[in-house]
Amino acid sequence: MAPLPELSSVLRSRTAATPRRKLSKLEKKEIRWGLFFISPWLIGFLLFYLLPMLASFGFSLYDFNPAVPDQARFVGFANWQRALFQDAEVWLSLRRTLHFAAISLPISLLFALFLAVLLNSEHVLGKSIYRTLFYMPTMIPLVATVLIWNGVLNEQTGWINVIIERLTGIRATGTQGLRWLADPNLVYYAYTMFGLWGVGNAMIIFLAGLQGVPSELYEAAQIDGASWFQRLIFITIPLITPVIFYQLVLGVIGSLQYFLAPFVLNGGTGFPEGMTRFFMVYFYKQSFTFFSMGYGATLAWLMLIIAMIITIVLFGTSRFWVFYAGEER
Amino acid sequence: MKSFKPLLVSLMLIVAALINAACGGSATPPAQPTAAPAASEPTAAVAPTSAPAPTAAPTAAPTSNRVKVRWFVGLGAGTDEGAIPPQNAFVERFNASQDKIELVIEIVDNNVAFDTLATQIAAGNAPCLVGPVGIRGRDSFKGAWLDLQPFIDKYNYDLSDFDPNLVKFYQVKEEGQLGIPFAIFPSFIIYNKDLFDEAGLPYPPATHGAPWVDENGVEREWNIETLTELAKKLTVDANGNDATSPNFDPEKIVQFGWMNQWTDPRGIGTFFGAGSLVDENGNAQIPDNWKAAWKWTYDGWWKDWFIPNGPYGGADFLQGPGGPFSSGNLAMIHIHMWYVAPWALGNVDFDWNLAATPSYNGTITAKMHADTFGILKGCPYPDAAFEVLSYMLSAEHVNELLTIYGGMPARLSLQDNYFAKYNQTNFPNKTDINWDVVVEAMAYADNPNHESWMPSFQETTDRYNEFWNYLANTPDADFEAEVAKLKADLQKIFDAAR
Repeated sequence: MAPLPELSSVLRSRTAATPRRKLSKLEKKEIRWGLFFISPWLIGFLLFYLLPMLASFGFSLYDFNPAVPDQARFVGFANWQRALFQDAEVWLSLRRTLHFAAISLPISLLFALFLAVLLNSEHVLGKSIYRTLFYMPTMIPLVATVLIWNGVLNEQTGWINVIIERLTGIRATGTQGLRWLADPNLVYYAYTMFGLWGVGNAMIIFLAGLQGVPSELYEAAQIDGASWFQRLIFITIPLITPVIFYQLVLGVIGSLQYFLAPFVLNGGTGFPEGMTRFFMVYFYKQSFTFFSMGYGATLAWLMLIIAMIITIVLFGTSRFWVFYAGEER
Repeated sequence: MKSFKPLLVSLMLIVAALINAACGGSATPPAQPTAAPAASEPTAAVAPTSAPAPTAAPTAAPTSNRVKVRWFVGLGAGTDEGAIPPQNAFVERFNASQDKIELVIEIVDNNVAFDTLATQIAAGNAPCLVGPVGIRGRDSFKGAWLDLQPFIDKYNYDLSDFDPNLVKFYQVKEEGQLGIPFAIFPSFIIYNKDLFDEAGLPYPPATHGAPWVDENGVEREWNIETLTELAKKLTVDANGNDATSPNFDPEKIVQFGWMNQWTDPRGIGTFFGAGSLVDENGNAQIPDNWKAAWKWTYDGWWKDWFIPNGPYGGADFLQGPGGPFSSGNLAMIHIHMWYVAPWALGNVDFDWNLAATPSYNGTITAKMHADTFGILKGCPYPDAAFEVLSYMLSAEHVNELLTIYGGMPARLSLQDNYFAKYNQTNFPNKTDINWDVVVEAMAYADNPNHESWMPSFQETTDRYNEFWNYLANTPDADFEAEVAKLKADLQKIFDAAR
C-alpha cells in the first residue's frame, strides 16, 4: 500500500494549485478508497436524511392526508402562504418557543457552568462522586424524568409545594396554591426545572473546557493579585468561550425543537392557555393529529430555515466574543 | 490493495442486501389483486385452489396459501393487557375454523394507534379490519372506510337481527354503510353505595323517570336540580362539612359528589340534551342546552364545588384503576357500559350500583356509544375481510368478543340473557346490579349522537378541549366570552375545511 500523503500537502494541492492539475493515479485511488470508507455513512445519509428531506419538501406542495392518500392534490405554495401569512398560530408558537428559550437557555447554561466551576475547584473533596451524581440524572430517559417531575410539582401533593407550605406558611397547595404546570406565569420555569436534571452533559463539556485552561495563566494572575472572581471573569470565561459558543448553538437548536415535555405532560394540548404549544408541538399536531401532512412538512421546513438563520446569526456574532487559542485579531 | 473493485462490489451487494431486507416484503409475497377492491372476486381472493408448493418449509405450510387479513386493534377498546390473550385466542379459533384466510391481529396502544394506522394507510400497507372502533375513531379517518353495502348485498348478509335505527347509525352520507352494529354502550349513573350510606342519603332511582325519595321521605323529581343538591351533600371537606354547609372549605375537599367521567364537552353538553356543534348549514353553533350544561359544570367546579376541577383532578385521593370513581372518594359518575368491567370496578373496596340518568327540562338523554369493525378501502382482500367480519359478528361468535370488550350486544336476539351471563362472568359475587337501567337507557339515546362527524374532526376536537381545559383550570374565567370565542374559532375551522 502506498504511503498516504500528509493532509497538509493534499490541502495545499487542492487550494493553491492554479490552474487545476490532473490527479495522479495514486490520488484517484486514494479518493476512491476514501469514498469507499465513508460510503456507509453516505448511503445512510442519502437514504435516511437527504431523500426524506427532499420528499418532505415535495409534500409541502401537496394537500396530503395520510389517512386518505388517494385524495392528495398538488397545491403549489399554498401551504407556504398559509404558514407565512395566514396562520397566526405559526408565529404565536414560534414566539412561545423563543420566550421559553429566553428563560430556559440562560438558566440551563449558567447552572451547568456553575456546577462545572464548582466541580473544577481544588477545594472540593470527592469531586468524582459529585460529578457522577450530577451526571446520573442524564441517564434517566426524558419521559421518565418528565413524569417524575410531574409528581414532584403536583399542586396538591407535590413535595415542592408541601415543603414551601410547611417552611413558609404560604398556602402553596390547593386550587389557590403554586400551580407549576397550570399557571401560565410559572409553567416555563417548571419546564426549565425538568431540563436542569439533564444538565450533566453540558456540565461535563464545560468541565472539559475548564480543564483545558492553562494553569500558568491563573498562577500569573494570582501573583498579580487577581481575586477568584477576577480570574473567572478575565481568564476562565474568555478562554472557554468556544465551549460556551458550542453549548449555545446546541442549546438554541434544542430549544427550537422542544417537544417532549409538553407532549408527555398534556398530549400537546398547549395547556395551560396554549402556553406550551411550542412550534414543534404545533408541527406535530398538524402532521400527526390533524393529519395535515403537507402543511406539517411546510412547518418542518420553516423551522429548518429559522434554525439556520439563527445559527448563522450566532456564528456571525461569534467573531466578537469567541476567542480561540492562538487566534490573531 | 491490488484490487479495489471486488471490495466495492462486495460492499454494494451487502448494502443492497440490507436495503432489500429492510424494505422488501416477505419471501413469498401474496398475489396482490390489481383491480379496485370492490371489483375483486371473493372466490379468487379467498379460496386459492393450488396445492402448497412442495418447496415450502414445513412450518410455513399451514398458512402459506391463505389470504392474510390483518386486523388492527387500538382505536378503541382491546389494548388493555387483559384483553390481549382472549383476542389472540379468538384469532386462533378463527384460523383453525377454516383454511382459506389467515387472520393476523395487530394490537397497537391507543396513544399511538391513530398515527400508526395513518402511517400504514399512507404507506399502502393498510390493514383490512379495524376495530372495535367508535364514531370518534371512525371519523378520524373520514374517507378511508369501505362502503359495506355492496358486500351486504352480495352475500345477502342478514341485518334483520339489528334495530334498523342502529344500522342507520352507521350510514354516512356520500360514504355508505361503514359498519354493521356490533356492541352498544348505553350510559347511566354509577354510584358509590357506601358514601350514600355514610351520608344517610337514599340511593338515586333505578328507573328512568322515577322520582328520588329524599332522606325525609319526600318524592323529588329526578332532574338536574335534584342531582345537584344530592351531589353537594355528598361533597365533603377535611372537617366533615358538606358543600351545603356555610363552614365548607373548598380548598380542603376530600370527597366529591359528581363527575361526568371520561367525556368531553360534547358528552357533557349531551347530559342536558342531544345537540351538535355543527348546524344544518355546516356552520358552528353552541346548542343552548349544551351551554347550560357547560355552565352547570363550570359552577360545579368553582362555585358549588361538587365536581372535581382541574387542580383537584390530579389529587391523590381521586386516583384509582378506573379513574376518579374507583378511588372510592367520588359518589356518582355518569358513564357508559364499557366502564362496568373488572378493570374498573372489579377490585374496588366499596359497593356500587347503577342508576337512571336524570332529566333536564323534562327530557332524559342518555348518550350512547356504539362500536363496530370497519374495513379500510386500502384492504387488498375486502371479500376475505368481509368474511372475517361476518364471522366476528355472527350470533355464534360475537359473544366471545363482547365479553372481551364489555359491550352490550347489538343483536336483538342476544340481548335477553346477556346481562345474566355478563354478571356471572365478570362480577360473580355481586348479585344486585340494576341491569334494567342499562336496557332502559337505550330508549333515551342521543340523536344526533354526541360523537357525530364535524368538519376537521381532530382540529375541532383539539379546539374545544383547549376551551374545556381552560375553564377547568380558571376560576375567574369569563364564561360567556369563552363560549363566544370557541364558537368563532370553530367557525374559522369549519370555513377552512370547506
